[in-house]
Amino acid sequence: MNTLDGTFTALADPTRRAIVARLALGDATVNELAEPFDMSLPAVSKHLKVLERSGLISRSRQAQFRPCHLERAALDAAADWIAENRRIWAERFDKLDRHLRDIQRASGQHGEDQDR
Amino acid sequence: MTEHPPDAGELTFTRVFDAPRDLVFRCMIEPGHLTHFWGPAGVSTPLDKISVDARPGGVFESVMVNDADGSEYRLRVIYDEVVAPERLAWTDPDTGMITTSTFTDLGESRTEVTIHQVRVPAPLRSPQAQAGFTTSLDRFAAYLSVLANNEGGTA
Repeated sequence: MNTLDGTFTALADPTRRAIVARLALGDATVNELAEPFDMSLPAVSKHLKVLERSGLISRSRQAQFRPCHLERAALDAAADWIAENRRIWAERFDKLDRHLRDIQRASGQHGEDQDR
Repeated sequence: MTEHPPDAGELTFTRVFDAPRDLVFRCMIEPGHLTHFWGPAGVSTPLDKISVDARPGGVFESVMVNDADGSEYRLRVIYDEVVAPERLAWTDPDTGMITTSTFTDLGESRTEVTIHQVRVPAPLRSPQAQAGFTTSLDRFAAYLSVLANNEGGTA
């Protein structure tokens, strides 16, 4: 169930990120989404298809203008992954820092450290 | 100091260590050192579950064990670059993510380590597609949390 690839692929494009940001404010039609961009409707539609495939947005089937809706769960999953990844490296580096102090103290390479 | 431009679109982590570059570099490729720090908080990496073949094409494999419930997380990556004591790069074949570690000698036994990660799913490896990664995902992550916090009002 690794949809993260698709999410990151979708978010890799600045226009698509802008669309996501716009949809965070509320649902919007293709016309409304196209407005701020100097882009044809088909070009915007193409981006919307990528976003839809990634699960980041959904589009109403019944309404005439098929408004786009941001699916927060997919966005949250991407944000969570980034945060988790950062946490792992931060904690790993905390430990490495301690380890480096320990072994340097043991080998006397650094003499006496002041802390601890 | 980095001769390579960092890969586009990276997640970046930087930390300065009070230790000479050679030593910091060795910590990242020697199981005897890795076992002391490779797992994040609350997670151990037993020495006998780390194997390192530090050369291009070689495998770096580790099993991290959650101290609380014993659950295991296996990481298996392939080295792309091993340039002691300056740079390490590996690819996770499962996700396509490339992790590059750059070691910069700051003098006076201080070393800066920068981790760049690029998530590059296979279909994205064209130059045009990579250009799309040039905006930092990190910054976007911060932005996402702002969006998430504003969530309350809109439906």
